[in-house]
Amino acid sequence: MSDLQQARHSRLLLLRSGMLQDWIGPINWKTHKIIHTLAAAKDAAGDAVEDGSYNPFPNYEYTGSMRPMYPLSAKRKVPDHIPRPEYADDGKPMAEVRAAGQPPKILSKEEQDKMRTVCRLAREVLDLAASHVKPGVTTDELDEIVHNACIERNAYPSPLNYRNFPKSVCTSINEVICHGIPDRRKLKNGDIINIDVTLYYNGYHGDLNETYAVGEIDEDAKKLIRTTRECLDEAIKLCKPGALFRDLGKIIEPIARSNGCAVVRSYTGHGINDFFHCSPNIPHYAKNKAVGTMKAGMVFTIEPMINSGHNWGDVHWPDNWTATTVDGKKSAQFEDTLLITETGVEVLTAGKKRDL
Amino acid sequence: MDLDDEIPTLVEHSNDRVPLTIICGFLGAGKSTLLKRILTERHGYRIAVIMNEFGDTADIEAKTINVSSPDDPTAEASEEFLELANGCLCCSIKDVGIAAIEKLMQRKGAFDYILLETTGLADPGPIASMFWQNEEFASGVGKDIVLDGVVCVVDACFGQKQIEEDATYDEIGESIRQIAGSDVILLNKIDLVEPVEAAHLESAIRQINPAAPLHKTVRGQLDVGSIVNIEAYSTRPKFPVHGHDHNAIRAGHDHSEQSHYELRGISSLQVTCPTLGQEKMDKLDAWIRSVLWENQLPEGTQSSELQVLRCKGLVITDAGDQYVLQGVRSMYDMSLVGEEVVGVPEQGKLVFIGKGLDLVVRKSLEDIVNS
Repeated sequence: MSDLQQARHSRLLLLRSGMLQDWIGPINWKTHKIIHTLAAAKDAAGDAVEDGSYNPFPNYEYTGSMRPMYPLSAKRKVPDHIPRPEYADDGKPMAEVRAAGQPPKILSKEEQDKMRTVCRLAREVLDLAASHVKPGVTTDELDEIVHNACIERNAYPSPLNYRNFPKSVCTSINEVICHGIPDRRKLKNGDIINIDVTLYYNGYHGDLNETYAVGEIDEDAKKLIRTTRECLDEAIKLCKPGALFRDLGKIIEPIARSNGCAVVRSYTGHGINDFFHCSPNIPHYAKNKAVGTMKAGMVFTIEPMINSGHNWGDVHWPDNWTATTVDGKKSAQFEDTLLITETGVEVLTAGKKRDL
Repeated sequence: MDLDDEIPTLVEHSNDRVPLTIICGFLGAGKSTLLKRILTERHGYRIAVIMNEFGDTADIEAKTINVSSPDDPTAEASEEFLELANGCLCCSIKDVGIAAIEKLMQRKGAFDYILLETTGLADPGPIASMFWQNEEFASGVGKDIVLDGVVCVVDACFGQKQIEEDATYDEIGESIRQIAGSDVILLNKIDLVEPVEAAHLESAIRQINPAAPLHKTVRGQLDVGSIVNIEAYSTRPKFPVHGHDHNAIRAGHDHSEQSHYELRGISSLQVTCPTLGQEKMDKLDAWIRSVLWENQLPEGTQSSELQVLRCKGLVITDAGDQYVLQGVRSMYDMSLVGEEVVGVPEQGKLVFIGKGLDLVVRKSLEDIVNS
């Protein structure tokens, strides 16, 4: 999961005053709600969406063909014996927020071992979820698979209730850049889907994601996925003690550009350890002012989000999580959690190489 | 029309920038008077003034926005609350505040200027670096918010006392941080003090920050152009040429007369810089990384921990390229200046303001640029 600072971009409300009314007309929240409800019902019935599914934001101008398909399934439970991160109950990662601005943590050997373990488990869970990717499967089913796989491993699915994220995994299809919420939508032949898994085990988080083809995808989509994987792989090659975080984007952006793609800017890689997201902040674009030098014992993610075409921008659905491209073109992402060692880098979430 | 606030407004794409100036200053120094005057003055600009009032709860932070009207400044300024779901501008949930402003502009059309008032207790550094970084991914309005600079309002009557008392709280003190991190300083209520007192305070301010222009004001009266569009974070090399060098030299070189402000740790370091070859450029960059990121000299010989609050500079290379250095706290940028610039001085100059910048640090830097 990428650094969520930017996800909160859209999570605000403007309240009160005549000025606001000048801009968007009078607000009557009661009416507003009724309109929503009516629209939702109409959408559900009128669009002949099967089994009562509906688009909760019928008036939102979607940038592509992806739509949310509500209702979401009931909130999944994590058994009491599984240790929970600080935000599990109220959604607020307060200690993480307080720690913002601290320099990147150097992990002890013992902590590094814990990171190895949780990252290995996270890889197992992602691979399991990926094995179920095929036309007809809903993202909610993938969420259930991920959720149960975490519990079987005595791990908490880190996204669940992190800043009130409602599900246990992020599933981002086609033009969705990241943070898609699993719902009733079925995977279709030709889709690409990113599955972003994070586990919390023995006090530490492990985070990775990959993008997968659903059935047969077109050449452009294949090229996008390969380009994105290459961006991550080449960036990882730079990692070692003494390397600068700001230089990662200088590797990634030229690869994306030369393949006719753009690098998303408002989401970044991040430090990860006993916090889900912490320093360093790692931009994937070239001209950046990122602070810091890699040192042995640091753990962080690199997770380039690459858009087809030249538009790096992102917009958010009214769910305040789902980020999509502004032009509806596809976006892909790969992520690994990395440990800087004395001599180089260890990819803690490494998996088997697969053909893309 | 849809009532959801997510509908993207069509805006024509332009390269226009909306300068954002951060106004900080001691409690009671006259920030509100200054802002009120700006909001009601007939200057022909649409200026959004954002009051950033920190509460005790980290959860909900309301901000008030006042927007002056270019047509009828006497009309009651429209007032707005931005309610953010999380946090405040000064803590980690940074981008919420910027996003709120961007959204406001998206809906309302861009402002000509934005003034952000911080509370009397806030160190402007974190907010400045946040807006500065945001320029990398500013989005959505066609007109992008760019950090213009930090203005500090100092109370001519009580400033001296505030600096002295404040500095006893922690090692530096917020009022000194404010002066150190500012690009323009207003010495306000100048009519209420004797000239000799004012001179004393001015000298104290100069010890902390020799680089910022200082304006003496009465009830915040000054040309609004002195505090907006100052381009203190621009990549154009205008900074080294402004006219306070006599002060700067005095503060920077007169080591025999160390004031107690310097003894408390805050001082400035100015070094002139001949043209540099690539190797020296690399060394200089490594030096800056070490000092700004690791709080130490590359050789580790500093006598106490270093902390740079603000740095600026112009560096000229053997090849004739000019680089502008800008930095706030640990974040910095060394940007190549475009060719259109004229009137660039032959010598480069570097200025660092912060803690622990003593003779050892000076020598370390001079060894790189002068060797």
